[in-house]
Amino acid sequence: MWEFLIRSLDASTIFTIAALGELIGQRSGILNVGIEGVMLFGATLGFITAQTTGSYLLGFLVGIAIGGFLGLLHGFFSITLGGDQVVSGMGIWILGFGLTTYIGSAYTGLLGLERIPSVLGLSPFFFVGIALVVITWFVLSKTSLGLRIRSVGENPAVAEVSGINVTRTRYLCVVVGGMLMGFAGAIYSLDYNPVWSYNFLMGWGFIALALVFFSMWNPFILLGGSLLFGTLWQLSFNPEMVLPGVLSRYIWRTVPFVITVGVLLLMATKWFRTRWGAAKPEALGQPYVKEG
Amino acid sequence: MSQVKVERGDTVLEARGITKRFPGVVANDHIDFEIKAGEIHAILGENGAGKTTLMKILFGEYQPDEGEIYIAGKPVNFRSCLDAIDRGIGMVHQHRKLVPAHSVIENIILGHPRAGKILNIKRAENEINELCQKYGFNIDLKAKVWQLSEGEKQIVEILKALYRGAEILILDEPTSALAPTETEKLLESIEAMAKDDLSIVPFITHKLAIVLAISDRVTVLRRGKVVSTVDTTEATERSLAMEMVGREVIFRLKRTEVEKGETILEVENLSALSDKDILALNGVSFSISEGEIFGIAGIAGNGQNELVEVLAGLRDLERGKIRLDGQDITQKTALERWKLGIGYIPSDRIHVGSIADFSLVENTTMNYYFDGDYQLQGSLDYEKIRALTEEIIAEYDVQTPGPETTAKSLSGGNLQKLILARVLSRKPRLVIAHLPTQGLDIGATEFVRNKLMEAKKDKTGILLISEDLDEVLSLSDRVAPIYEGKFMDIIPGEQVKRESVGAMCAGIYLDEDEP
Repeated sequence: MWEFLIRSLDASTIFTIAALGELIGQRSGILNVGIEGVMLFGATLGFITAQTTGSYLLGFLVGIAIGGFLGLLHGFFSITLGGDQVVSGMGIWILGFGLTTYIGSAYTGLLGLERIPSVLGLSPFFFVGIALVVITWFVLSKTSLGLRIRSVGENPAVAEVSGINVTRTRYLCVVVGGMLMGFAGAIYSLDYNPVWSYNFLMGWGFIALALVFFSMWNPFILLGGSLLFGTLWQLSFNPEMVLPGVLSRYIWRTVPFVITVGVLLLMATKWFRTRWGAAKPEALGQPYVKEG
Repeated sequence: MSQVKVERGDTVLEARGITKRFPGVVANDHIDFEIKAGEIHAILGENGAGKTTLMKILFGEYQPDEGEIYIAGKPVNFRSCLDAIDRGIGMVHQHRKLVPAHSVIENIILGHPRAGKILNIKRAENEINELCQKYGFNIDLKAKVWQLSEGEKQIVEILKALYRGAEILILDEPTSALAPTETEKLLESIEAMAKDDLSIVPFITHKLAIVLAISDRVTVLRRGKVVSTVDTTEATERSLAMEMVGREVIFRLKRTEVEKGETILEVENLSALSDKDILALNGVSFSISEGEIFGIAGIAGNGQNELVEVLAGLRDLERGKIRLDGQDITQKTALERWKLGIGYIPSDRIHVGSIADFSLVENTTMNYYFDGDYQLQGSLDYEKIRALTEEIIAEYDVQTPGPETTAKSLSGGNLQKLILARVLSRKPRLVIAHLPTQGLDIGATEFVRNKLMEAKKDKTGILLISEDLDEVLSLSDRVAPIYEGKFMDIIPGEQVKRESVGAMCAGIYLDEDEP
């Protein structure tokens, strides 16, 4: 049971960090559905780097860097070119899936490094994740930069008139967001499950994406949601723990999505909107073209 | 300009020979005027007179092709609105530039250099409260903007400009969306700001009374040129209107008497909820006969939207009955009502009345697609609809290169003509005209009113909902002032007194009208 809890918390750490990356981008108005692809890249390149150099640090740095680069790429398509963000994101996912399979298959197998030591029985990244949640919350709601990011995601035209550089702010967010996604991928392949195999992520990125919608774009709800989703995910490996022999793990894995649909339905109700307004960043997914 | 000490009455802004051309049109043609410190200087002009262009030039959104702007005697060259803001120009947009999801205070400090890296909300709050007290604004700084009324949103925009250090405040149609009490308060605040040596420049299209009430001087624009700049004390509503349009305007449209025919619409005890689940329409009963214009006068937000939408079949009702020619249509859908002869002219012609990217032919189709005469073996007979659109364009004098142009390329007046035409050309039994002349220039307004009169002569029943008291009073055979979802009274046209109706729209009965 203890083991199960630890694994759940470790899993939710990865969801938290990846989803935070997505949340930051979305608060600035950029939707990146290619989060799974970014994580695959971060995980695979981080894994290969760490294995070849023997250095975890280098592995993580490469994972973060490639994530940042893919964020930049997504930014180029969706901010500079003003293209469809879903199309660009799907492209990144497909690219990530294909390319990492091609590059990584030669490295199939164990990482072969000494495990990263745990802190208080937990992965050290668990604490990093919590710190990142607090930092993200603080930056978004208490700082000038956060106000700028939120404004750009709500109404870029207003932000522009108020003297904010929409393009720069959005780039900053997608790049930082991509770095967090790449980091989350590297945590998976270097710490959570240090083995490379075909399609090892199996939808973690999509759960993180769902998590952002579940969180109603609030970092703390996101943290709570990732604990829930992490536990559900972990349960999917041993469904018999709850309902012996009844549910397959693949059914379990749809549960986070079902919950997310429920939250989205709730947000769509009149009851919700008249009390809290629209939680979703108003300009999410819309390219911004300067007037004149 | 904050560096230079300004004395009351000094010229703070001067425009010389401002010219701006767009393909095929000179929007601003050598415009000259000057604004003094502490002056309220209205810029008046019809739609298309070049007001918007001038406003955008003053705020740095457009660069003029010719001419200079001087601030405190020095030439300035605005490359963006930020330059204008830096030189002390503040803009209060008609289409509010605010983030609805954010609080009032967040909106005001957004992008402000003094907001601090870590937001110093307390300090900002104190400073903004000081401004509020000084100029008599009353607003909850912690409220989210989406919860505010139009008037409150305008206050937020004014505060934002002032907080940014604006000394010249440009107001785009400042009273167009305000309730009378809000208007009154705004005028008081504007005067307080002017006393404090701020210059106020309201741009106004049609509310001539406001111009007279508020401004010290007024500059009238027509077709991109300055017609005159006069002291307001020397102007009257009539003289301003004449300068604006360049010809005498018939303000009092002659109400043609048409013999009333059979009853078309009967509404009994109608109630409906607003989007916020508040009882917005509370037990309204009336009827409309053939050849009658039934006018509803009132300030926006007193249940007019709900009434119109219920009648058009777009909103569920709570209670009540609607009959058309004796048939109960309470449960009928919007389409069924169209087919039964209800024509609907929505107040929002851009979003509800038309599809911006569709051609005029396709937009005309919106009221014809369900009509068997315009179908060909189950698909639309575009040839026929196109011919109809061409007829409409000619008959209603819609200014457009052709029927295949998109709706968004039309000016407001021309778009409204198209919408009006496609509704009236169906020869409806009943027309619901919701703010049919809102935002139109005087020429187009006159046109729309005349067309409604013509329809009335053809025995069409018309429900006219307007916030323009003069419009309702001069057109309607009977007038119902609406207040908080109820009719205050239903008054026959010949007995209507302007003051009484105005008072009733504010929920007050003058002594002699006490029912």
